[in-house]
Amino acid sequence: MSALRRFLSPAGLFKQALMVAIAIAAIYPVYYMLETSLKTREAWTADQFGLPLPPTLDNYATLLADGRIPVWFMNSVIVTTASVLVSTVVATLAAFAIARLTFRGRTFLLRLLVALMVVPPAVLVLPLFLGLQPLGLTNTYQGVVLIYSGMLVPFSVYMLSSFFRTLPVELFEAARIDGASTMRILRSIVVPLSGPGFITLIVVNAMWVWNELLIALVFLQDDQKRTLMAGLTTMRGRYAINEPLVMAGMFLGVLPILLLFLFGQRFFVRGLVAGAVK
Amino acid sequence: MRRTLSRLGGLAVASSLILSACGGASTTTAPSAADSAAPGASAAAPSVAASEPVSLDFWYWAESDAPGADKWMAETVAEYQKLNPNVTVNVVPQSADTLISAFQTAVASKSGPDMASQWATGPVLSFVWQDSVNPISDLVPADEIAHWLNTNENTYNGKVWAMPQYLLGIGLAYNKELFDKAGVTPPSGDRWTWDEFLAASAKLKTAGITPFVGGDKNGYLGAWWFANVGGQQLDSVQDLAKAVVGEVPFSDPKYTGWYSILEEYVKAGNVNNDVMSLDLDQGVRLFSQGKGAMTFTSDGMLATAIKDLGADKVGVMRPPKWGTGALADAGNATQSISHFVTSWSPHPQEAADFLKFMHTPDRLDAWYKATGVIAADDRFDMSQVTVPQLQAMSKFETTGDQVWLENWIPPQIDGEADLPAGQMIFSGSGTATDAAQLWDRVQKTWAAAHPDELTNWQQLAK
Amino acid sequence: MSAMASAIRRRSRVDVTPYLLVAPAVALILLIYGYPIVRVFIDSFLSPTAARGTTVGLANYGFVIDDPVFWKSAGNNVFLLVGVPIMTFVALVVAVILFDQIRGWRLYRTLVFTPYILAVPVIGVTFVYLYGYNGVVNEILRAVGLGGLAQDWLGSPTLVMPSILSVIIYRELGFGVMLFLARMASIREELYEAAMIDGAGWWARLRYITVPQLRTVMTFFVVIELITMLSWVFAYVYSMTGGGPAFASSVLELYIWKYAFAYRAIGIASAVAVLLLVAISVLIVVQLLVRGGESETGEE
Repeated sequence: MSALRRFLSPAGLFKQALMVAIAIAAIYPVYYMLETSLKTREAWTADQFGLPLPPTLDNYATLLADGRIPVWFMNSVIVTTASVLVSTVVATLAAFAIARLTFRGRTFLLRLLVALMVVPPAVLVLPLFLGLQPLGLTNTYQGVVLIYSGMLVPFSVYMLSSFFRTLPVELFEAARIDGASTMRILRSIVVPLSGPGFITLIVVNAMWVWNELLIALVFLQDDQKRTLMAGLTTMRGRYAINEPLVMAGMFLGVLPILLLFLFGQRFFVRGLVAGAVK
Repeated sequence: MRRTLSRLGGLAVASSLILSACGGASTTTAPSAADSAAPGASAAAPSVAASEPVSLDFWYWAESDAPGADKWMAETVAEYQKLNPNVTVNVVPQSADTLISAFQTAVASKSGPDMASQWATGPVLSFVWQDSVNPISDLVPADEIAHWLNTNENTYNGKVWAMPQYLLGIGLAYNKELFDKAGVTPPSGDRWTWDEFLAASAKLKTAGITPFVGGDKNGYLGAWWFANVGGQQLDSVQDLAKAVVGEVPFSDPKYTGWYSILEEYVKAGNVNNDVMSLDLDQGVRLFSQGKGAMTFTSDGMLATAIKDLGADKVGVMRPPKWGTGALADAGNATQSISHFVTSWSPHPQEAADFLKFMHTPDRLDAWYKATGVIAADDRFDMSQVTVPQLQAMSKFETTGDQVWLENWIPPQIDGEADLPAGQMIFSGSGTATDAAQLWDRVQKTWAAAHPDELTNWQQLAK
Repeated sequence: MSAMASAIRRRSRVDVTPYLLVAPAVALILLIYGYPIVRVFIDSFLSPTAARGTTVGLANYGFVIDDPVFWKSAGNNVFLLVGVPIMTFVALVVAVILFDQIRGWRLYRTLVFTPYILAVPVIGVTFVYLYGYNGVVNEILRAVGLGGLAQDWLGSPTLVMPSILSVIIYRELGFGVMLFLARMASIREELYEAAMIDGAGWWARLRYITVPQLRTVMTFFVVIELITMLSWVFAYVYSMTGGGPAFASSVLELYIWKYAFAYRAIGIASAVAVLLLVAISVLIVVQLLVRGGESETGEE
């Protein structure tokens, strides 16, 4: 059946219609955010649905002048970068050991990590707070990075160890025979060959930290230290009757990721699905 | 005056820091009485050696209540620094959502700003009980404090702990045009009885007009009803405190019986049908758009409504009288925010002097011009209030006893009982009985979890 | 480190290197998981404030069991679980359609996946406006004459949870679609060719080749989403309703957060945390049983 005939067949048209509907539904909220952010307060109250005529950039100007969103954004960048860095390094060491070395407790450790992957942050947040507060680590970047790094380790080790196992054993054995030390092997062979695996891991972890809310809310309460997510949740309350302004804030909040996604779709997709599909 | 949900959350989140603080002793650096003996020191004369540079940090909040406040504060600081060149005041405007939590963080380390703003009574006292407040009455002469209004909101153990700045009240705004359409006449006095209110609502409904509009999505409309109508069977705030400490159950009709009349009112279809879809401000906006005949407004909201609808179309009266307790006659004005000197400030006297400076007549006038909210000072020239409706509000706010009931319950009970109970009624998810039982349950939980605070509230209940 | 490790190795049979390598990870785990989990168990038996350090036995659990709000919260989480089969089914359907590479499939794929990369608070707030009583969704309903269906989606105690679920599905769907598509792409062509030669139609191919091949990844998706519904929905609820109206949309994470930080009732919050952990553990066991001996060695 030719492509055109397939397209025009009842089944084909139905599929198209369905996909169009789903795609529109999927993208409409983003469109709505943008559309609303370009309206004035009054225009939106009068008509929530239609196009902004004329569109205005005032909301964005106000937000950027206010200066809080960039601050929140930077905080998220700091926290995300640090957490992903620390956890990746720590996880690489451990994953390599689990994947290629034999030692007592190896299986147990891996099983433990897999189990820990599903522990909800809600269970950890109170005791962590009680534990870190006397140490002066609440409301600090260090405390949050510590927590996030710890929470990223199980998944990272799991993912990396799976990935390392896909590297050919022969390389490893050959190096061994040549007398290379473990660290040497890790550094010179495993790491360089694991580019894709690392990229995947970093994408997934970065997205997770970037989007995390509960821990960020509890441990970074200073308005100057807030992450973007936590900050955005305060906007609706603060600007209750200026919905376009809130939408502008929301849009600014997702714009970076949106842009990254549009240009680097591959990484996102590959990263996010890699955990389940090998 | 209004608390945002996130603020409660924020309060909650950070107030958890009490956990560590409350077990052990906290260090207090309360200044001796000698510091406050700067007799007759006018606001302009510094009470510290002129050469010593002093830097003060002030975590200030008022802008959400009174737009224009931040600008006024900047000018105030500039003036004060001109008069006191060795003093630098660094103002950090706070966000409502993190007002309490940010300060709670400072409390945990007993370091931070020299001056801070917190909402009156409940929140202020919670910090007083954490030894974080230097009582303002120790630092400012009594004759000055005598001019301040509503100081009872922060009086405890014989001391005034924090300074008021302005007064906000809640009135029942009404749309004259819509009243005319339905044949409703406003009260001849300053308020209706509940029956008159019901009758008027019925007439409005018949004329196809929504009698009362509001938004309870974030729970504050219910809290406002509690503050304005709910306490009308009580005689005093001590009555309320008795329920807080559990001497009398909240389910006693004196405290929660009023939910029945609210339930009736809502069930009769007198409230806009998207009340649960809108936040408080969005609900008031409906009034400004002429979509409803009546709503509760603060002074600022009233001013906006007048701007939107036109001064000839807007009237204001006091909330309807339903109860028979002494509080039924009381007004509902509150200072909302209070400013105080922290217990750890190394310059308590200088800090107090700056706070006092905010009350000089010239600054009070400038305040009104900037924000349109009346100052909490009897030296404030009321003749500046020229808009008739706002004049009426000012009169309500300064005549007789004033009690903002919500101030007199612990923030946890406010957030977990007051707000959700109102939502039950407005959303129809619970009956008045459910609401009453909720208050009971929450009070018991709070009391069991906080025996320390309970003792303090028992003092208030005396 | 390696020299020392080699030296040690030469001296004894035990190679210390692996232990050194896993040490940082183990340290972090102990700190971030070990300490809290132990502490939460212990604290759940303490008096509510834990400041006194007195144990109250099972009193906290008793309180929780007696609290209607706890049951409402747990019930809401369970309700959300219902969404998982729906989500899986829809994702499967969409993936199958896209896999056929109908016209424009790449665009559709991108659009469907976009919600997943958006931050939850942003989605939450946007849907608050969309689902408002006079918001776009109701406006559309009214415009097409279905005004009777217009509701206060987030303000009605009965509709609020389904509405929140719809938003969760909105986002998670993209993830499922991508997952299935990726797996489907690696199904060997020969299987399909052989089937076609044998005369198998579209439905038969789907039923006997595609779906069985997808079983593992579908299970993975289902387990992930089940866990999500129990322990990763805080952001949705917090940004859309805060648990309202009057607790109608409260979930366990919110309940814990409130009791931990609003009430400062450590004992109670810890008790709930323990209960949540137990519930999750059941799911972990299920997941481990299903994956059996597969995942450890990375083979499939």
